[in-house]
Amino acid sequence: MNIAIRRLLGLLLAAVLALGASAAQAHPHVWITAISELIYAPDGSITGVRHAWTFDDMFTTYALQGLETKTKGVYSREELSSLAQTNVESLKEYGFFTFAKADGKKEKFQEPVDYFLEYKDTTLTLHFTLPLKTPVKPKDLAVEVFDPSFFIDFGFAKKDPVRLVGAPAACQVKFQRPNDGAAGAQKIGEQNFLSGDNSNYGAMFANKISVECP
Amino acid sequence: MSLKSGFARALTICVAAAVVMLALDSVVNVLMAQTPFGGPRPSGAEPQAGGIVGWLLSKQSEFYHQMSSTIRAAKSDGSAVWTLLAISFAYGIFHAVGPGHGKAVISSYLVANQETARRGIVLSFASALMQSLVAVVIVGICAWLLNATAKTMCGAERVIEIASYALIAAFGARLVWSKGGGFIRALQASHSMPAMALAGHHDHAGHGHDHHHHDHSHAHAALHDHAHGHDEHDHGHVHDEHCGHSHGPAPSELAGPGGWRRGFGAIFAVGVRPCSGAILVLVFALAQGMFWAGIAATFVMGLGTAITVATIAVIAVSAKDLARRLSGASEGGALVMRGVEFGAAGLVLLFGVGLLLGYVAAERVTCF
Repeated sequence: MNIAIRRLLGLLLAAVLALGASAAQAHPHVWITAISELIYAPDGSITGVRHAWTFDDMFTTYALQGLETKTKGVYSREELSSLAQTNVESLKEYGFFTFAKADGKKEKFQEPVDYFLEYKDTTLTLHFTLPLKTPVKPKDLAVEVFDPSFFIDFGFAKKDPVRLVGAPAACQVKFQRPNDGAAGAQKIGEQNFLSGDNSNYGAMFANKISVECP
Repeated sequence: MSLKSGFARALTICVAAAVVMLALDSVVNVLMAQTPFGGPRPSGAEPQAGGIVGWLLSKQSEFYHQMSSTIRAAKSDGSAVWTLLAISFAYGIFHAVGPGHGKAVISSYLVANQETARRGIVLSFASALMQSLVAVVIVGICAWLLNATAKTMCGAERVIEIASYALIAAFGARLVWSKGGGFIRALQASHSMPAMALAGHHDHAGHGHDHHHHDHSHAHAALHDHAHGHDEHDHGHVHDEHCGHSHGPAPSELAGPGGWRRGFGAIFAVGVRPCSGAILVLVFALAQGMFWAGIAATFVMGLGTAITVATIAVIAVSAKDLARRLSGASEGGALVMRGVEFGAAGLVLLFGVGLLLGYVAAERVTCF
């Protein structure tokens, strides 16, 4: 009978694993096309990240639902200011989907500044700057942009996805898309999906910016 | 001898039961993964960024993106509505593979409750229909009637979401409560069996092991009595089936009155939470002045979702039937079957609690 109980426990474990694995098959509902700038201080340390995130038109419509404007279909920056406020406040919960490491050490961000929404060609673009808690001057800087739960699919703009602003001339920037097949890029496949770890499931869809400053 | 073959059988059942559990939530895992638990795949050149899951995801994104452009097109070209419906149907099928569409809850419920495949199909369609209805009602009231902002609508969605998770947890708790009884009885039956067999060999040939006198929930006491030879309640042979037979409730008992009521519980718990995708499509259609097309798309999407959920539900039920057939009437088999049912009930509870506490990934409500 003990054997039977042990078997049952095994079964339950298997079931939980199966459940966890398949729960990981999240899928995006919001698509963002991003452009990011890394901002440097004159002394060569990085002070923050400036994002411009353009939402897909379906989500744009959803976000604009019920918003009163003077002219129908025209949204000024002022009219969008309260929505922008809501956006950045809500994004805090998700760490702004921006994860930075300086020489392998995790860096934290402050509350966003200079945020506003812009409506153009039926899409909304959210602009905001994330200042680092403390500016750093690392040899290796890595900034990843992704949604761990993969509700949002982050794709970077085809042209000029990443820029360094005011960085020392010797710094080299590299950008890796989630599925461009570059060496070291994580492959999207069953292995990842079935690892049972859905806490960081979206990581395989991460966009990786790395900067090397000698 | 019979014990030995019983264990061999139990082993087979275990394998079958493992299949049930795997099939429970995601047919994709079973059908598509060569190594379900993340081990290295045996060689084979897999194209990068792919596999079938990657393909499913890219298909889904493709359909979803097409939906917005098709709704726009439908404003001037009526025939685009048919395209919209076709895309929505396909999207529903692919989309439901992801979490948050009640596959796990419905399949677990079916397995826990010895339901038929037919009823599984009915439950899947009913809950998907309800999901579509709720999405239409939310957008209809919040966006169309009240012209509420996304923030308000999102608040409403969140409340409904939490209510849905709480319902799933409560539903699971109820299942655990009722299935726990069957499992414990089966456990006790298997517990008392070897002792009885042993005793029977020695000096109880004529006693008939009348544990029936005792309530089933007191099997330990019964065993105790037995060891002390208190067989004064000997009514002969009445409960001979105690040896080697299931003490669990018969299927007919389980599907008795209240079965359909429980079914409605499942439909409601799963169906009350709308799909974020449907809400987005509806709001978009409304903004384009094509609300009716959005409603049609939502219901067709629900139909697609129902097909996926029903397929998974039927697989779960058939796998369990297979396990039951393999288990035959053996003691171990009954124990394992009751265990599987109990486990499935526990999964519904775990799932509800996990969703409530945010441990289980679900579709996030679009709030930001």
